[in-house]
Amino acid sequence: MPPGEDTALDQAFLIQFTGSMAAVAVLVGLAAWARIGRPAPGLDEARARDLLGEDFPEQRIDQLWIAREGKGALARSGACALVLVQVGDGYAARRLSWCQATSAMFKNGLLDIRLGEVAAPRAVLAFDNWPPADLAA
Amino acid sequence: MDDLDPVSLAVPFFILAIVLEIVLARMGLVRANYEPKDTFTSLAMGLGSSVAGLATAGVIFAASLWVYQHRLFDIPMTAVWAWVLVFLLEDKIYYWFHRLAHERRFWWASHVNHHTSQHYNLSTALRQTWTGGVAGTWLLWLPLSLIGFPPAMVAIQKGISLVYQFWIHTEAVGKMPRWFETVFNTPSHHRVHHARNPRYLDRNYAGILIIWDRMFGTFQPELEGEPCRYGIVKNLATFNPIRVAFHEWAAIGRDLMGARSLRDAALYLFGRPGWSPDGSRETSEQIRARWAAAAGAARPSPATGAETGLTPDVRSESPA
Repeated sequence: MPPGEDTALDQAFLIQFTGSMAAVAVLVGLAAWARIGRPAPGLDEARARDLLGEDFPEQRIDQLWIAREGKGALARSGACALVLVQVGDGYAARRLSWCQATSAMFKNGLLDIRLGEVAAPRAVLAFDNWPPADLAA
Repeated sequence: MDDLDPVSLAVPFFILAIVLEIVLARMGLVRANYEPKDTFTSLAMGLGSSVAGLATAGVIFAASLWVYQHRLFDIPMTAVWAWVLVFLLEDKIYYWFHRLAHERRFWWASHVNHHTSQHYNLSTALRQTWTGGVAGTWLLWLPLSLIGFPPAMVAIQKGISLVYQFWIHTEAVGKMPRWFETVFNTPSHHRVHHARNPRYLDRNYAGILIIWDRMFGTFQPELEGEPCRYGIVKNLATFNPIRVAFHEWAAIGRDLMGARSLRDAALYLFGRPGWSPDGSRETSEQIRARWAAAAGAARPSPATGAETGLTPDVRSESPA
């Protein structure tokens, strides 16, 4: 490589990288401006059951609690808890032990469940109280 | 010609096409959904992929060159027949690379991030791997250089394939004319590939030509009665690009730490995604089988549908 060419390459890369970051910012800004996400009305019980049914079709739901403003849900299914958490205008669902759900930290109206995955570190659901008053024995 | 990089040349087109898709969707003229955080993650993954690619580009280029020095034939880069041949061979290699990347966990760990969006728009096309070079799938293309195709020619054809695959990541295009749907990979076919519906899992691996899926029994048309739900079997609960890039590698590492035998370790690494020693997780095949059983669908016979896993109602469906 002739002298100085490596510096020119570095500069070219830096310019390209900076330009790309600017393009990313513009496109994300445009997407935000356009407001063309999927309609994401708060969950109701039917919708929550549908979504949980997609991920856990064979899991019977004994009890279901919808988080405030419908931004998630938690269901009891035997010894399991099924968690539905809003991610942007979509949802992610996870299954964990019921003990994990009941022992999760509840503070200031927020239930903070550690899911323990890199892909899904935690689920934070807003409830008026936890464990819920209507929890079946 | 050796310096021609179709992907770099196409970047301005990529940006303009995304702008156009967003604006037209905003005007209600085409179907497209963009969620800002999701869009950020897709574009950040694309940018990160370009940077990460630089780390292994030298090794890949050197390996291609070394293999080419031991080539069997001299194939001229200027001959039309050579381009036709490299197009077909590269596309077939892409099919097998893509199938491997879905059906074996080690390579899925690298490829999965491309499927993590719950949206399907042009920005999703740019949600590319950061670990492809490390995963070593590039080795699959080396035989082309061994045959005698110049490495630059192979690189250009790979670039053309990637550029082609950009435009099929959209809901704005319904179905193409029947002849086109029969031969080429299209938005409709690729929507199926990105869907998490049990019927659609691990289908339509094609790059440019859909004929490979038809030949090797992995073709599944998009059905009007079954809209695609995009994402992966266990959707991510994060938009963090670092987590998106490495989550499956981390999951593999965790499984390997807990493996009770060498066999288990090997299957955690190279088995089908979803494999587990106690069967507590599900592979795509198992999910599809469970769905088929629940739907009361007739079990496909080994001679016809076993390869495809297609139920009779699917086989009778043809692309519009």
